[in-house]
Amino acid sequence: MAVPTLTSTQRYAAGALLALALRQAQLQQTELLGFSSLPGDNYAVPDRSSSSSRGSNFSGSEADGDSLQLWTHPSRGLLRPVFRFLEIDSKAWPGLEETAGSSDAMHHILAYLKIMVEDDGGSSEKEEQEFALAKSVDFMVMSLETAHSSEETTSELHEENFESSKLSISKLSAIGEEAINRYKNARDREAMMADISLSYPRKVTILFELLSACVADSPQDYEKDSMRRKGYDARHRIALRLLAAWLDVNWTKMEAMEIMVAFSAMAADKEQQQSQKSRSSKGKWVKWKRGGIIGAAALTGGALLAITGGLAAPAIAAGFGALAPTLGVLVPVIGASGFAAVATAAGSVAGSVAVAASFGAAGAGLSGSKMARRIGDIEEFEFIPVGGNHNQGHLAVGILVSGFVFEESDFINPWKAFENNLERYAIQWESKHLIAVSTAIQDWLTSTLTRELMRGGAMMTVLSSLVAALAWPAVLLSATDFIDSKWTIAIDRSDKAGILLAEILLKGLQGNRPVTLLGFSLGARVIFKCLQHLAESGDNEGLVERVVLLGAPVALNSDEWITARKVFIIFC
Amino acid sequence: MDPSASSQPEFDYLFKLLMIGDSGVGKSSLLLRFTSDAFEDLSPTIGVDFKVKMVAMGGKKLKLAIWDTAGQERFRTLTSSYYRGAQGIIMVYDVTRRDTFINLSNVWAKEIDLYSTNQDCIKMLVGNKVDKESERTVSKKEGIDFAREYGCLFLECSAKTRVNVQQCFEELVLKILETPSLLAEGSAGVKNIFRQKPPPADASTGSCC
Repeated sequence: MAVPTLTSTQRYAAGALLALALRQAQLQQTELLGFSSLPGDNYAVPDRSSSSSRGSNFSGSEADGDSLQLWTHPSRGLLRPVFRFLEIDSKAWPGLEETAGSSDAMHHILAYLKIMVEDDGGSSEKEEQEFALAKSVDFMVMSLETAHSSEETTSELHEENFESSKLSISKLSAIGEEAINRYKNARDREAMMADISLSYPRKVTILFELLSACVADSPQDYEKDSMRRKGYDARHRIALRLLAAWLDVNWTKMEAMEIMVAFSAMAADKEQQQSQKSRSSKGKWVKWKRGGIIGAAALTGGALLAITGGLAAPAIAAGFGALAPTLGVLVPVIGASGFAAVATAAGSVAGSVAVAASFGAAGAGLSGSKMARRIGDIEEFEFIPVGGNHNQGHLAVGILVSGFVFEESDFINPWKAFENNLERYAIQWESKHLIAVSTAIQDWLTSTLTRELMRGGAMMTVLSSLVAALAWPAVLLSATDFIDSKWTIAIDRSDKAGILLAEILLKGLQGNRPVTLLGFSLGARVIFKCLQHLAESGDNEGLVERVVLLGAPVALNSDEWITARKVFIIFC
Repeated sequence: MDPSASSQPEFDYLFKLLMIGDSGVGKSSLLLRFTSDAFEDLSPTIGVDFKVKMVAMGGKKLKLAIWDTAGQERFRTLTSSYYRGAQGIIMVYDVTRRDTFINLSNVWAKEIDLYSTNQDCIKMLVGNKVDKESERTVSKKEGIDFAREYGCLFLECSAKTRVNVQQCFEELVLKILETPSLLAEGSAGVKNIFRQKPPPADASTGSCC
């Protein structure tokens, strides 16, 4: 069970860093990113240069209440399982939690980073392990990139449909940059990193350990903490993202690590399963292999996981070997030592039973099942896998919602160029009504509107003319009447679809993994409604990691936004 | 003085106190005695420990946030970040171990000068383990002289026998209450549970880029 690659002091510091990152991430949550000019939002346009105003905003929005609101609070169940996994002495926990909650957390980061450097075990064996781990992560990144480029070539055909996805990509990356810039601004991180020369392998090891700890859960937590969701919490992911930024480690490397952790955990878990019921499960195994993916949870009634057919080998190292299609050159290059390092670092994940829940029945859950129409009026609601990242152990899910479609393929095509390391699904919903309203808008735009614009000599962009339409004479407005009814229906359906999406997320069909939601037009409204519903139905903060809304037909009523924002972390 | 009062959220002032000193001098034991009136064998502190105690003093309700730091050398860098914003610092030594007393001037007093952000911060020198009178190697006189030289309060106590433990904290807190600049820091704005507002004296807020 031991985590051998870091000394106990380093693990202590690593736990502290995660706690600090978690706290800072929660502070970031209340700040708007890429949305600084929200009209009517008189409560939280943060003064970016000042950390103190950030603090007061926060306390204002999150009620005075109690420190229960803090993500670092024990009742949240976010930190303690990680501490336990890292084998930090339980006596040190309150100190860490309190440190994270205290106001000048940023100063502590420096100290904890320093102790990482100073407390050097000095053993060359450990260094080798760290080095091997870092190397294998690098190769994972490389193989991810090659996998991407091959995907890109196949999808070039759809170039014309890419605009929206390009927009969202640029939006996402802009958010990322802005967030990182803000961290930089918050403190002179550059200077901080300059005098702390943490070796790259060490950084990777730290992050890898923390990731393993976040993904793994100790079974005893479930009984005590009802608030704790199983698996990889969105809040953990965002904290790790922040921590990676502090450590100057590229996020793609984190994503590579996620996959490695997932696979080693899966392999280890499978080994466990096999030894537990060697005979009775034989028949099931065959099924699992044949089916490729299935919701194992449903089959066995426990927190098992869905595994790809290629992953049948029991040993951890073999589990990595099975990654071959993705990993390509990895095996021969890093060799056994690399695997061993990964295995030792992640090995103890296996010790915890529930790790499986993280990546659970995902594939099958989302794409396989057409949703039962639990909420009336919704005629169509279906998850469609997009891109090639499915069942490859990705620890994060992206759900993409279109809202302006002319044909069914428009639900998927806009997202084809959206390349990142998420396991992506598009939602196809209410195509009949969406196509109707989209077509109506198109017709309207191409007829009356454009003619009028030509005559007026105002060749503005379509977008700005839509705005201008508000001030137009009544004669022209009548032309919009026939859009109205279709629009109303579509709005109604999008609200219902949003609630449906929220229920799906609540049921954990995505497999207890952090979810990124992207949507445009009416799709953005679906997401907004989904977030609202999540916020209203209790403590669901750990589900949704990031959200991007493009052109959402939602009133800018700040109250509603505040409710919705409670449930996720980075917002646009 | 009722420990159960610690759950009560309302208080007039919040003071941050810090305990420093060599490993094994009894910082954690002192704190345990003060907060829960107990005494037991403790293993060395890892990093930092934190305890809260509500007290009523001078007609005010006070919340004391007491940080108990690890004395071990390997945590030295870590503890340095906890000096920031502390209104009171308790330096502890073991009256039976002369080296722990020597180290106060060699190490700990320098640490305070280096890391404390608070000019007016109240310092207190505490000689622990006076129950082991026969093994004493640091006389009370030496303690008083040291305290005079560094301008701090002084007491000798024993966490084991409870002698003077309450007085240690009380004297320190009373002194803080007499210092207007510290009082201002501990009141009002800091009251909010998220404690997000850095103390006004925090220079780093202004130096942000």
